[in-house]
Amino acid sequence: MSYTVVSNLDQAVEALAKSAGKARVVAGATDLFLGNLPSELVDISTVPDLLGINRDPDCLSVGAGVTHAGAAASPVIRLKAEALAEACREVGSPQVRNISTLGGNVVNAAPAADAAVALVALGAKAVLLDLSGGHREVAVEDLYANYNLSVVDSSSEILLRFLLAPAVRGEGSAFLRFAPREALSLPLVNAAARVRLKGNTIEAIRAVIAPVSPAPTRLNETEKLLLGSKPGQDTWRRVEYTAAAEVDVRGSMLRCSAEYRHHLVGVLARRVIRKALERALDSKEGGDGR
Amino acid sequence: MKEQVIAFELNGETVEAYTDPALSLLHLLRSRFNLLGTKEGCGRGECGACTVLVDGRAVNSCLVPAGKVQGRKVYTIEGVTAEGLSRGAKVHPLQEAFVESGAVQCGFCTPGMIMSTYALLNDNSSPSPEEVKEAISGNLCRCSGYKQIEEAILEAAQRLKAQDWQDRNTGKT
Repeated sequence: MSYTVVSNLDQAVEALAKSAGKARVVAGATDLFLGNLPSELVDISTVPDLLGINRDPDCLSVGAGVTHAGAAASPVIRLKAEALAEACREVGSPQVRNISTLGGNVVNAAPAADAAVALVALGAKAVLLDLSGGHREVAVEDLYANYNLSVVDSSSEILLRFLLAPAVRGEGSAFLRFAPREALSLPLVNAAARVRLKGNTIEAIRAVIAPVSPAPTRLNETEKLLLGSKPGQDTWRRVEYTAAAEVDVRGSMLRCSAEYRHHLVGVLARRVIRKALERALDSKEGGDGR
Repeated sequence: MKEQVIAFELNGETVEAYTDPALSLLHLLRSRFNLLGTKEGCGRGECGACTVLVDGRAVNSCLVPAGKVQGRKVYTIEGVTAEGLSRGAKVHPLQEAFVESGAVQCGFCTPGMIMSTYALLNDNSSPSPEEVKEAISGNLCRCSGYKQIEEAILEAAQRLKAQDWQDRNTGKT
């Protein structure tokens, strides 16, 4: 195997072009030894262009090479994309989070990757660079070809960064997972939501659950139920029922039975939407700079 | 297998290895450098026995391909011990606290626990019990039950502060 650590994007593109499809991009490489080893690897984890966290008024840009530890500790992400900070805090263990990257979490295409679930709920887009220097933007949920298979061809494309709208006043997001242990444990179900209020009415909502299909999955019916509504005490039972009813879950030896997962989908959907909503309400009261 | 030269800093010394870059850092340390303090438990990033510092941050050395440490600073339990010796002590105060608190039983998880602790105390010299738990949440111990380990870490933090222990040679940037 050849392993090349590149220090900029030009070198990365050149190395990929030269290998004519044999080389694969790698960043944190934490899943490298769990699969078949490719013959050539191009390590982009120290390319400065991939490490930035930049905030414009309308757009938060998070480099694909930012580690989960880095994202979890970022004051901007904690304030403007809280679900992402929460999700990143849950990935693997401290040792894994210190090296694994957001880009890898998405391109590795595991169906319940914590950061990816949060990114989809936040409405993030991925910016991809091809070998001819062209860029394309794709919604994160559209990057999944199948279970553990990304549409990103890591022999000819580099995921550069994620773009998302930062939280505004009246908006909140949250991430939750349920797992047998608090660390080093696969989630049985994970969920994330983003809610924007106008007055006390839900003006926009994205609620996402995983793993129920290859990609983190929007809860369309649950979102419809809540959109334009003013949630009250009677809302939450319906949210729980609707969320559980609208996805088709499977049991797995690795995680848990279908029945248990069905129950968890409803409970986590309710809890995460409620938490996002509470944060949206809190942010309207101000004081946190939003 | 194609081998290549990988140059990095190991416990403060510049070293080179001519190796398959797909060899894990764990196996590189154990087989090429004969540093046997770093343990192999699960070999897949789930137990933390192989924890070392790369550029000052705790990582699972079993998951790191050797090619990745080119130009980086790697710090292992042997470096920690040497730090203690260089100060005229038998071992590092962290190791001492583990022994005296009864935090070592079979000892297999201990080097990894100490490396995670070392990274924690570099960032945070007065961790709360919660922060201690968080810092070792990636390290499994199957005999002591964690309580003594947590106590050892809090005790170590006190001793390091009392002794004004610095010169942390980890290269964290």
